[in-house]
Amino acid sequence: MTNHFIDYKNSDVIMMIGSNSAECHPMAMRWIERGRQTRGTKLIVVDPRFTKSAAGADIYAPLRPGTDIAFLLGMMNYAIENGLYQKEYVVNYTNASYLVSPDFKLEDGLFSGFTKSADGKVSYSTATWNYQKDGDAIKKDPTLENPNCVFQVLKRHVARYDISTVSKITGTPESVYRQACETFCSSGKPDKAGNVLYAMGITQHTYGSQNVRAIAMLQLLLGNIGIAGGGVNAQRGESNVQGSTDMAMLFHLLPGYLGMVDATKHTKLQDYIDKETPKTSFWSNTPKFFVSQLKAWFGAKATKANDYCFNWLPKLDGVDHSHVAIYQDMAAGKIKGMFAWGQNPLVGGPTVDAERKATENLNWLVVADVFETETAAFWKRPGANPANIKTEVFLLPAAFSYEKEGTVTNSGRWVQYRWKAVDPPGDAKSDLWIADRLFKAIRKKYEAGGKFPDPILNMVWNYDHAGEDEPDISKVALELNGYTVADGKALSTFGVLKDDGSTACGCWIYAGYWAVDPELKVVACKRRSRVDKSGLGLYPKWSFAWPVNRRIVYNRCAADPAGKPWDSSRALVSWDGAKWVNNDVADFNAAVSPDKTATGPFIMVPEGQGRLFGAAYGIRAGALKEGPVPEHYEPVESPVTNLASRQQNNPMVLRRKGAFDKVAATASPEFPYVLTTFRLIEHYQSGAVTRNSPWLVELMPEVFVEMSQTLAAQLKVKTGDTVEVSTARGQVKCKACVTPGISSLVINGRKVEIVGMPWHWGYQGLGSGESANVLTVSIGDANTQIPEYKACVCNIRKA
Amino acid sequence: MAKGVLVDLTQCIGCRSCQVACKQWNNLPAVRTSFSGTRDNPLTLSKVTWTKVEHKFLTTKGTKLKFVKRQCMHCLDPACVAACFMGVLKKSPEGPVIVVSDTCIGCYYCQVACPFDVPQYEWIRGKARVRKCRLCFDPGEEYDRLGQNKEPACVKACTTGALKFGDRDALLEEAKRRIGADAKYVNYVYGEKDEGGTSWLYIANVPFAELGFPTAAKGASLFHAFHKAKTG
Repeated sequence: MTNHFIDYKNSDVIMMIGSNSAECHPMAMRWIERGRQTRGTKLIVVDPRFTKSAAGADIYAPLRPGTDIAFLLGMMNYAIENGLYQKEYVVNYTNASYLVSPDFKLEDGLFSGFTKSADGKVSYSTATWNYQKDGDAIKKDPTLENPNCVFQVLKRHVARYDISTVSKITGTPESVYRQACETFCSSGKPDKAGNVLYAMGITQHTYGSQNVRAIAMLQLLLGNIGIAGGGVNAQRGESNVQGSTDMAMLFHLLPGYLGMVDATKHTKLQDYIDKETPKTSFWSNTPKFFVSQLKAWFGAKATKANDYCFNWLPKLDGVDHSHVAIYQDMAAGKIKGMFAWGQNPLVGGPTVDAERKATENLNWLVVADVFETETAAFWKRPGANPANIKTEVFLLPAAFSYEKEGTVTNSGRWVQYRWKAVDPPGDAKSDLWIADRLFKAIRKKYEAGGKFPDPILNMVWNYDHAGEDEPDISKVALELNGYTVADGKALSTFGVLKDDGSTACGCWIYAGYWAVDPELKVVACKRRSRVDKSGLGLYPKWSFAWPVNRRIVYNRCAADPAGKPWDSSRALVSWDGAKWVNNDVADFNAAVSPDKTATGPFIMVPEGQGRLFGAAYGIRAGALKEGPVPEHYEPVESPVTNLASRQQNNPMVLRRKGAFDKVAATASPEFPYVLTTFRLIEHYQSGAVTRNSPWLVELMPEVFVEMSQTLAAQLKVKTGDTVEVSTARGQVKCKACVTPGISSLVINGRKVEIVGMPWHWGYQGLGSGESANVLTVSIGDANTQIPEYKACVCNIRKA
Repeated sequence: MAKGVLVDLTQCIGCRSCQVACKQWNNLPAVRTSFSGTRDNPLTLSKVTWTKVEHKFLTTKGTKLKFVKRQCMHCLDPACVAACFMGVLKKSPEGPVIVVSDTCIGCYYCQVACPFDVPQYEWIRGKARVRKCRLCFDPGEEYDRLGQNKEPACVKACTTGALKFGDRDALLEEAKRRIGADAKYVNYVYGEKDEGGTSWLYIANVPFAELGFPTAAKGASLFHAFHKAKTG
C-alpha cells in the first residue's frame, strides 16, 4: 500500500475493485465507516458479485471477471474528456509532458515492436516504447499539447474506451458506469481525495500487472497518490504476507526488493552492481543495500577482496521458477523434494488435481503446519492409492500465530511486534525453532563434506538464546534491521548504509524497526503510543512503518510544487516559507526548498515522476512485458471475442505444458458460463486452520457455487441442490447457492451468466469438501506468472 | 441504570464476529450443520446458539443485502418472565433478562410468550433449563461481563462499531440523534416501544417489516401487559 488502513477515514471517495473488504479485510470497513460518518465518504464497489462490501456501497457496479482494464481506462477517458483530472499535479508530478518516440503505436491490440517467428514464438522489441532524447535529457512539453507527449498518447489510447464500448465489454450498465466515473473522478479536484482498494481480483489475471498499472495511472491522473485519503492500496491476503514479500518469498527477489542474482547476467559483484543500479532514483543506492546484505549474511568472511562472498549466493538460471513452473517441473520428475511451510498448495494452487498428481513424483515432502493439511495428506487423498505412492512425508507440528513471538507486517507496511499469548501444544515449535534446528543439522552434514560447503559452513548463524530452547528472535531482528560492523549497534535508518563492508543489514527497508525509540525506550516495532497530533491517523509512534517510519509514501505530492498542501485539512507536508513543517516523515529531501523537489516526487523511479506511460527507460524501467500502457485483452478462457481488438489474449502470456495448459476455446458451447473464485469471511485461505475450527465450520460447513436465479431456473436447480461444476480441467460437486447476489450481464448484446465459488475446501479437516481450484487455470500474468484464478469458463449440471 | 445495546444496521458488514464471540465467551459448542441454501448457518437460535446474523436480500427496489443480528431483546416488560409461573426468569434492574433459579419444569410458556422466538430448552436427564442470551450478565459467576462493567462479548468483537453498549436511555437519545442527522435512516427506533420496549435498540435504512422484525404486537403483548400489571 502507498497508504495504510486507518488512512481510509480520510478519503472522500473509495473505489473497491477486485477486493471484497467486508469479507476478506473486515477491519478496513471500520475505517471506511469512520470516513462515512465524519466526512461522508462515498464507496463504489466494482465486482462481478453483489458482495457483503457491495451491501454497504453507495454505488455497486457489476462487471464481468477480467475486464478491469476496460473499466479503468474508460474512467481515465472520462476524466480527460470532462477535464476532471488534476492538471497541475499531472504536469509536475507525472511524465505526462515527456515526448514518446513518434514510432510508438498500437495497431489492433499489438504495440509497435511485436514479432512472431516462424515457430510461433512471440516477442516485443521495446525500442519505440521510449522517450525522445536531447543528448541525455528527455524531451518534454509542459503544455501537454505535443501529439507525441505522454498525455496525448494516453488520451488517444483511452479514447477508444468510451462509455458505450466499456459497457459492452464489461457488462456494467451504462448509467451505473457513468455514475461510477462521475463519482470517482470527483476526486480529481486538488482538495479531494480518492482511494482505490484492490486485492486478488485485480492481480489474479493474465494481465494482472497491467490491471495494477491501470489503477496507478488513474490515481496519478486524479492527483490521488501521495496524499492522505488517496493511494493505490493493495490489501494483502494474510496478516503477514507483506512481511514475507519484504523478506523475498518470491523467487525473483532478494530481501528489500533487490533483484535476485542471476547466473546468466552476474558472474561477479561488479556485474550485479552495474546491471542492477540505476543512475538516478533512490535505487542508485543499490550497492549500499546489497553489500550490507552480504555482510549481514556472511559477516567477517565477507571482504572487499572476495566480493563480499557474492559467489556464495544461490543464483537464478534464467528460467521461470514460479509456483506453476515448480509443479510443472515436479510433474516432469525434475524436482525430488519439497518443503511446504505454512502453505497448503494442494488446495490453493491452480489446476490443483494436476499439482496433486505431480506431488506423487517427489521422493520426500516436508510439511510444517498446525494441522495435517491436504498437502501433507496428498498420498491418501480420494482416488489415490497409497500403495503406489513412494513419497516419504514428514509433518512437523508448527506453533500457531499466537503461540510464538515476532513481527507481523500489515498491508500498510506497519511492522508490529506480537507477543506470545500461549505456549504451543505438544511438540509444536515456532518456525524459527524449526529453521534453526534444520540449518544446524544441515551444517553438521556439510561439516563431513559435500558439494560447495562454503556458504553453509560460513553463513552467520548465531541466534542461540542461552538457557532457552527457542532461538533468540531479537538477534534475527537486529540482523534484519542492520548494525554497524565495528560495534554491533542497531542502525536507525538505511541512510547510513555503506557499500564498503562497514555496515551489515539483512533487509534495508527494515532499517530502524529494531532501533530503540529514545523517548519510549522500546524498539520501534514495539511502540504502542496512541498520540496522533495530525488527527489524520498517522500514529507515528505506534509500531514502525517501512521505510523510515513513513506512513504515506510519495508524500511530496501532498503539497503543490511551491510546497503548499493541496488541502490544508489533510496536510502531510508543508513549506512555511523558510522550512518544511511535516506531519509525516518526508519522502523527499526536506532540507532543501520546495522548488528543488517539485519535479522529482517519485524518488523510486529513474524518471523521478509518476509513470502514465511505462517507458523502457533505464534500469528498473516501467515497461511491462505486454506494453507500456494497459490494453484490454480477454482472459485466456472467455465466453466472447475481444471487442477492443482482434488480439484475443495477452500476446506475451506464457503457455504451460500438458495438464497445466488445458484451456477451453473462446465462446465454447461446452462451457457457457463464466466462473470466478472468491473467499468467505468464515474461512481463511486454504482452510487449513478454519476448517478445523468447529465454530467456523458450523457457520460455513460446505463448498457451494453461487448462481443467479435466472441460471438456476434454466438448469432447474434449487438452492441447496447438489450440482457438478466442470471446466476443461476437471469437475467438482458442490451445493448450489441460488442468490440475488449474482446476476447475468449483457456483454455486447448477449446475456452471459456468471457463477462464483469459494476456494477454501479440500479433503482434510473437520469441514471438508471438493476444491474449487480443481477448475481454475494455471496460465498466469506475463510478468509475475500469478495464475488467472479469477476468470475461466465452466458448465454446470444438476448432479 | 438499565443497560442496552444500540444496533446500527447501516454499519453491520455481516462479518459474524459477534456470533462466534458469543460462543467463545459462553463456551457454547458448535453444531454440525450442512449448507442451508443461504449464507445463514445455523438457521435459528438454539440452546447453543444465542445470537446469529441473518443475511437478508431485499429485491423490491433494486438489490439490497442487509445483515440482522438476532438475540434476546431483553424486553423492558418481558413476556417470558410474565409467563413463567416457576419464577425461573427475571428482569434484572441492570437490564438483562436472566435465569435465576433451577426450578424450570419445561412448560414452554416462555417460548410461546416470546414475540422474538428466543428462549430455548436444554434437557439434561429429564430436567429442563432455559438457554438464551443473558447480555453477558452472570452475577458472581464465570461468564459475567456486565457485572464487571464490561460490554457484552458480541459488542466487544464488533469490527465496525455497529454495536454500541451503554445506558438504554442514552442509547435511545443517540439513536434519535443519528436518525435526525442523516436522511438515510428510516425514522424509527425499533425497540423503543415495540413489544413494550426492549433493551436492544435498532436503527436501519430500510423498514423494519422488511427485515423480519415483528412490527404489530402479537398476542404476546398480553403477557407484556400482564407483566407490567404484576410488577407495577
